[in-house]
Amino acid sequence: MFVTNDLNSTNYDACPECDLLINHAHPTIGDKVHCPRCGFLLARPRKQSIEHTFSLSIAGLILIFPANLLPMIGIEVMGESTNGLLFSGVMALFSKTMWPVAIVVFLASILFPLVHILLSFLISGHLYFNRSCRYLASWMCWMQHLDEWVMLEVYMLGIIVACVKLMAMAEIKFGWGLYAFIALLIITGMLTSKLDTELFWHRIGKLRKEHYHES
Amino acid sequence: MKANITALKQGLIRCHDCGWLVKIADKLSHCPRCDSQLHARLPYSLQRTSAFLISGMLLYIPANVFPIMTVNQFGVGEPHTIVGGIIELIDSKMVPIALLVLVASILVPLFKLIGLSLLLLSVHFRWQINARLWTVMYRIIAFVGRWSMLDIFMISILVDLVNLGGVAQIIAGPAAIAFAAVVILTMFAAKNFDPRLLWDSQENQ
Repeated sequence: MFVTNDLNSTNYDACPECDLLINHAHPTIGDKVHCPRCGFLLARPRKQSIEHTFSLSIAGLILIFPANLLPMIGIEVMGESTNGLLFSGVMALFSKTMWPVAIVVFLASILFPLVHILLSFLISGHLYFNRSCRYLASWMCWMQHLDEWVMLEVYMLGIIVACVKLMAMAEIKFGWGLYAFIALLIITGMLTSKLDTELFWHRIGKLRKEHYHES
Repeated sequence: MKANITALKQGLIRCHDCGWLVKIADKLSHCPRCDSQLHARLPYSLQRTSAFLISGMLLYIPANVFPIMTVNQFGVGEPHTIVGGIIELIDSKMVPIALLVLVASILVPLFKLIGLSLLLLSVHFRWQINARLWTVMYRIIAFVGRWSMLDIFMISILVDLVNLGGVAQIIAGPAAIAFAAVVILTMFAAKNFDPRLLWDSQENQ
């Protein structure tokens, strides 16, 4: 049952961090709405958020393959060389004692980025083509919770520090996987900044309402 | 509308996930827009945050005492703690990188542990504080947490690359597990803390 709530959405909003009741703002693109009491960024509408999210997520889905399958960095010491992939970093830790760390690295650098981009693709795709799906709201919840566990930019910093440490003892080579990884990292960052949460929820709610009226 | 009135005082609950406002009088348990469970405040926020925080504090000790990785060169093993790795970077004239690692692996976790404890204490004892400033502190804590994973990722890359048999090999040490646990536990602690409680305990809002 869809309960209509006249008090909501048209008149008021509440700040998620201090619960202040605020008159619903109607910001235009480029505006930033902050909570007057705690300063929380309440809304920041983005230009064509759904279209941009859709296209960025397609680019991300393509880039995931080279970023995961091509070697990122390699070293050469006294004729012996090794190559590193995202997944070989996980496998290197996957020993009898270190498997919990290996799982954390796997989740934060491979699985969560993949799921995050996949969810962006599914949600923005459904909204773009105006298709209703009963999982839309839960996908959106999942994507919001997953956001801080996608740690590609932290991983990049890890690569930089590792390279600095290795510089003294070995010759470092950069592979195509690294460039794909950097592109993927930029796409993920843009996905986060282009996402207009309020618009997405508004559209999801609207699709859901229409769906209920039809059936 | 009177200034500074909260949604809860007006009999409204904001959905945590989608921001929809629901009247408490409607007695709904789930959000009509996104089906998430409705709570006026995060349930058991203080209990959960302190549980994660105390576990994090305890694990911070082994994370710093035990070696985080061992470097074997020509059969001679040399264990490094987190601090040892930073000192080594300073010795090899990599001061900016050393500072980066110092901030990400020592200062950030420490700042998070202290900051979250202060936040918990202030809510528990209803300290009258500048809530706006403390909310900013909460935001910083929630934002910087993930950057501490830097050390863990660096180790996974080093262990993978430096695997040259007898010439050179890097092995992850027991502190890596403790350190990863500290980072994740403090991230959970920050996620379970409800900053609205800071505002609720202020008497003259």
